[in-house]
Amino acid sequence: MRANPLLKGVSYALLTIAALLCLAPVYWMIRTSLMPTSSLLSSALWPAHPAWSNFAAAWRAQPFLLYLWNSVFTNGAIVALQVITSSLAAYALVFIPLRGKRWLFFAVLVAMMVPMQATFVPVYTMLSAMHLINTYGALILPYAGSAFGIFLMRQGFLTLPRDIVDAARVDGASEWWILTRIVLPNNKPTIVTLVLLNFVYHYNSLFWPLVATNSTNMRVVPVALSYFLTQDAGQTLQWNYAMAFDIFAIAPVVILFLIGQRYFVQGVAQTAVKG
Amino acid sequence: MAKAAEAVIAQHIEERRFARGRFSLQLTGVAMMAPALLFLLAFVFVPMGYAVYLSLYQSTLYTPQPVFAGFANYAHLLAAPDFWQAASNTVWLAVGMMALSLPAALLLAVLLNQRIRGRAIFRAAVFGPYVIPLVSSGLIFSLLFATDGGPVNLALQRLGLSPVNWLGQGRTALLSVLILTAWQFTGYYAIIFLAGLQSVPTSLTEACQVDGGGRWQVFRHVTLRALGPSLFFAVVICLIQTFQTFDQVYVMTGGGPDGATTTFAYYIFEKGFQAFNIGESSAASVILILVLACLSYLQMRLSRRWVVEES
Repeated sequence: MRANPLLKGVSYALLTIAALLCLAPVYWMIRTSLMPTSSLLSSALWPAHPAWSNFAAAWRAQPFLLYLWNSVFTNGAIVALQVITSSLAAYALVFIPLRGKRWLFFAVLVAMMVPMQATFVPVYTMLSAMHLINTYGALILPYAGSAFGIFLMRQGFLTLPRDIVDAARVDGASEWWILTRIVLPNNKPTIVTLVLLNFVYHYNSLFWPLVATNSTNMRVVPVALSYFLTQDAGQTLQWNYAMAFDIFAIAPVVILFLIGQRYFVQGVAQTAVKG
Repeated sequence: MAKAAEAVIAQHIEERRFARGRFSLQLTGVAMMAPALLFLLAFVFVPMGYAVYLSLYQSTLYTPQPVFAGFANYAHLLAAPDFWQAASNTVWLAVGMMALSLPAALLLAVLLNQRIRGRAIFRAAVFGPYVIPLVSSGLIFSLLFATDGGPVNLALQRLGLSPVNWLGQGRTALLSVLILTAWQFTGYYAIIFLAGLQSVPTSLTEACQVDGGGRWQVFRHVTLRALGPSLFFAVVICLIQTFQTFDQVYVMTGGGPDGATTTFAYYIFEKGFQAFNIGESSAASVILILVLACLSYLQMRLSRRWVVEES
């Protein structure tokens, strides 16, 4: 379509407004994190004397590195296990003529729809019987198998020509060899998408860690964050420290997003169009 | 020559497949499915069945020995005003998202689908909120809507209006949760619509233009129609996500005031984890699963029909 300068201008204006709306809360977070405690109620758009010391104070007030380690370790383990279990299952679904495959895939689709919010009481009861509540195991095991992971990997595997796999079989290659030497190396973008999307998803979720852990040293980042408001209810909250801590919490996902933006966007688009 | 070679190879493949035996290949396949399936069985399907079982028993903190109760838990729920309040809050949020977030996302997708400078930057800015933890943005929006010193109230005061206790009153609290949720997810839906727009064949839009269609007609007759599946996907995902809404409510309002922001998922959490009424909590879980199952089924059925129509 021919470029209409007026339409272009309107487009730019609307997009700029949208981008500003999206960034404004983040801007206010940064602005507040630099406010001296004495002027928390001020309406200044930027602190006259940015209190960089707020970050040091927020860092000292809570063992952030411990929370970050809990988050990175458990979510790293979740994602690693998901890549292994999902690629094995997706390989079987795509390249092996299994009986009842349709039903297996249907089961995967059903599992994808059930959220932890609907099953947490039974899961909690089971893990508690295994004495796993308030351990890393409780945070990792429920997510070791991922229906979404199987779904995403299957989408990726389906794009690989079957002839390659068949030819390798003719040459006497084992299924394991085909998976690790042919299928996986040809699906690196899918793996990166799965790792990034699910790492961020689990890093961000509050619900299950809130239920499954109860001691301070087992807190993951979202749980630690959630205590800011519930603890300080009734008192006046130190918004500047809370926002400084919030910046620590957001930084890892924002860095991951900036590095792997392409994969996030593709991952979301892929599940929508082909799903 | 090449044809013959191909035929030989094809036959060879068949023979090898046979030689290795369907049985051993099937066994390998089962072994490969096993880890994922066992985890899904243990942490999705068994808990689902267990939830149904628990929902049929009366089990609270005061009744350590569960008593069979039939459908009493369900009857209790369906007669409880707070259950219906949670359900209507959830529907209200979903409708709000569809009225506010989805049209905005569609507009953004159309704008981002043009050939303009700085597209990648706009896209990153719009999609960015989606990767921020809901707890973090819940904290930020609690500050934005804070009664004292919150920028929203500061702006109102600048305009000579009186400050509002946003999170302390039922209606405005739910509205605040809605605004945060829209801020968080609009970019996500925009990406879904953008993917849908990019799958619209240019031949169709061109044909419509050749027939004398203006911009609006092209959009209405070609783009919107081709967007059908994406629109439907977005509506269903939107419903599913609202029924699961928990994190932002927990941080911003704790479901209050007086249950005004209690969503369906939050209700289950409160019943089970704070009131220890396992029976009713499980009954609500089963209802949630049924609702989500209906939505997913609808989505699968309709998306399949669309796919068939397309090809």
